[in-house]
Amino acid sequence: MRNRCFASTAALAALVVFMLLAQAPVAGQDVLHVAKPPATGKAAPIAPNKTYAPPKTADGQPDLSGVWTNNTVTPLERPKGLATKEFYTEEELAAVQKKERERLATNEEDGRPTEAGTAEDVHYDFSQFGLDRAQQQLSWNRRTSLISGPEGRIPPLTPEARQRRVAAAAKQKGHELDGPENRPLGARCLARANVGPPLLPAAYNSNLQIVQGAGYVAIETEMIHDTRVIALNGRPHPPQSIRQWYGDSIGHWEGNTLVVDTTNFSDQNPFPGAQNLHVTERFTRVDAETILYQFTVEDPGMWAQPWSGELPITKISGNLYEYACHEANYGLINTLRGARVAEAAKKLK
Amino acid sequence: MRKLIVMVASVALLVVAVPAWAHHAFSAEFDQNKPLKLKGTVTKWEVVNPHSWIHINVKADDGSVVPWMIEGGSPNSLYRAGFTKDSLPPGTEIIVDGYQSKDGEHRAVGKDIVFADGKRLFLGGSAPGANGPGSEATK
Repeated sequence: MRNRCFASTAALAALVVFMLLAQAPVAGQDVLHVAKPPATGKAAPIAPNKTYAPPKTADGQPDLSGVWTNNTVTPLERPKGLATKEFYTEEELAAVQKKERERLATNEEDGRPTEAGTAEDVHYDFSQFGLDRAQQQLSWNRRTSLISGPEGRIPPLTPEARQRRVAAAAKQKGHELDGPENRPLGARCLARANVGPPLLPAAYNSNLQIVQGAGYVAIETEMIHDTRVIALNGRPHPPQSIRQWYGDSIGHWEGNTLVVDTTNFSDQNPFPGAQNLHVTERFTRVDAETILYQFTVEDPGMWAQPWSGELPITKISGNLYEYACHEANYGLINTLRGARVAEAAKKLK
Repeated sequence: MRKLIVMVASVALLVVAVPAWAHHAFSAEFDQNKPLKLKGTVTKWEVVNPHSWIHINVKADDGSVVPWMIEGGSPNSLYRAGFTKDSLPPGTEIIVDGYQSKDGEHRAVGKDIVFADGKRLFLGGSAPGANGPGSEATK
């Protein structure tokens, strides 16, 4: 019994580790061979160019408008083996890029053939379907993680936040397929964490459009069609009783940098369980093709310390395509109907 | 033992913090015990979000024709990779390697889809690494 318990726990651990690796393309062993922790990096990969004067909009704001992407293969959190190493050297980055190309060359989902008949195999080949991040325009940089600083990771949850997560998971356990309300917000086409803030790369379609008008900046993310409207008119945040999935954003210009302050998040998105989330973002156009995006996230009830990160947002050609997700969301129907059929079959046994 | 459980718990919490890789959990929608290989003729390609759906007619052993729906990638990604509605015209013969939906209907996820001559349907000509640093796959 003890052995069986151990075996199933180990299997779960292996599965979880596999899932983690599958979700963080660069976060695998490969990187560990490239870098020699715990050496620290020197220069930042991108920095504001003091001499660059961004174009201005008709009403005199620095112009951030256009279609952009924040697609990257840099993981949000630093691979643990890299310890406090914040930047790759040019040589190390070249090696990481080479590994990434070799990974793609296998032309299998995430570069790893899956075993037929396993849950991991029930999936299409991302490289074939154009969903692989590395097939789209990427902005490489020498950061080892989007989160900056010596830790390079989201700080540990406070004991209270951990307790909230455990309680929420316990409540959901066994009811994951009861009805649409039990499915994740993304699977219901309602909200996605990549919209943020902080604005982070999605798994695919990491494209966004910025539109500026007098007194407002609007950011539409293609995944999954949400638009954040940032008020520049100096109004305060609404009362704390008003909570929204993407919070309430107000902004102002500090020189050529758009500074955005967001509060009034619901506790469901983008960090489930966060109750007083506060995100500060800085958008600085550093050249014609690049916006330096920096963010700081804090919620003392969730994490003991604030955490910050940065990544380049780069210009792309073309349009933002519509992402009317709900209209043809067969996935949700198939999932729930499949669960009902399975329940009926179980009853017959 | 306890140490291991603690490790699993903390790793599991990390997974929660990482955005889901795809739109939904494929294994909740499709059955890993129902692998299939279908050869059929395209009747329609629904280029809809969050996933495109390819409709095919499959000829059964008894000669009857059975319509199937095959789930594919997001239209936005496919468009940027150069695919349009015309890339998969009705009448095209394709072979689908995938898994059937859990409810047993004639719907499946297309893990690999190839033309009848074996050529890959999507991105067949993409050279891995061709879209490296600074390159743009959207052109």
